[in-house]
Amino acid sequence: MAEDGENDGMEIKLETAPHDPRFQTTNQAKHCWSRYIEYHACVKQKGEEDSECQKFKRWYKSLCPNEWLENWDEQRASGTFPGPV
Amino acid sequence: MEKERRISEYHMVDVSPWPVMTVIALMGILIGMIEWMHGMGGRILMMGVMSMLMSMYGWWRDVIREGVLEGSHTGKVQEGLRSGVLWFIFTESMLFVSIFWAYYHSSLSPSVELGGVWPPRGIRVVEVWELPMLNTLLLLLSGVTVTWSHESMRSGEKEEMEKGLGITIILGIVFIMVQGYEYYESEFRITDGVYGSSFYMGTGFHGMHVLLGVIMLSMGLIRSIRGELTSEHHVGLEVGIWYWHFVDVVWLFLFVSIYWWGGV
Repeated sequence: MAEDGENDGMEIKLETAPHDPRFQTTNQAKHCWSRYIEYHACVKQKGEEDSECQKFKRWYKSLCPNEWLENWDEQRASGTFPGPV
Repeated sequence: MEKERRISEYHMVDVSPWPVMTVIALMGILIGMIEWMHGMGGRILMMGVMSMLMSMYGWWRDVIREGVLEGSHTGKVQEGLRSGVLWFIFTESMLFVSIFWAYYHSSLSPSVELGGVWPPRGIRVVEVWELPMLNTLLLLLSGVTVTWSHESMRSGEKEEMEKGLGITIILGIVFIMVQGYEYYESEFRITDGVYGSSFYMGTGFHGMHVLLGVIMLSMGLIRSIRGELTSEHHVGLEVGIWYWHFVDVVWLFLFVSIYWWGGV
């Protein structure tokens, strides 16, 4: 809105992860999981700065509950992560 | 010999304590299980189980007496006994339906905690083509021997019948021993996630049913040796044989679903 005093003239874009036809139903847990895995696989292959990898990161941050992300980060650190990373 | 005049073709049973004793025993088992599972001891459970065993012994002993000694088991009564057991086998199948449902629910869309894969990350499955394959062959062979035994029974060849039955029982016992060994060597337990739960619920209940089948067939063999069966009238043996085939079929489903599809 133009009246928004906190806006420095930059538009705030609100977006979330795009619809993925692999995950049609209400339960998006697998969608979150897939994006998380894809991000880490991407980083392994292309490095953290790559824009595609950053895309995956934004998506999983949108989709996944933070609790799950903390859990999974801990598991990856301790080597007990059940995913293919 | 003068035949006693029958009131009807159906069996009007005499007053019996076994039904009410069974019911009280079952209540004891129910309450006893709750007590035991909450770590409060197993005395009620033990009493319930013992009463149940006594009731089973007494009730079935009476059925055998009514058939052999009283001559109450007319064709109609035999039909009733057979259809009763068929319905029982149906209910047992429903138990396995629920177990297989649970298994497929968890394995077709493995959750993220399992790593999104089946078998779950970290589970070292039983090698399909080793002991499980042996078990499959044992049960399939036992299906053949029990059919041989039944056919011999129907054509009056008592010795052949008893041989076949004996071999079937031995195969059943060997199955149980092989399964016990597999459990002993297994690298996962029932508490190891949903894989462990479904594996041991499925194979465990199946094993119990194999034991039941072995007992039923053994009863048939014992009674045959005692001369209580004829080539036309052997309901106890017949239903034991049906039960055995049911157990065999359930194993085939287990083998294909859990060991084979679920293990690779």
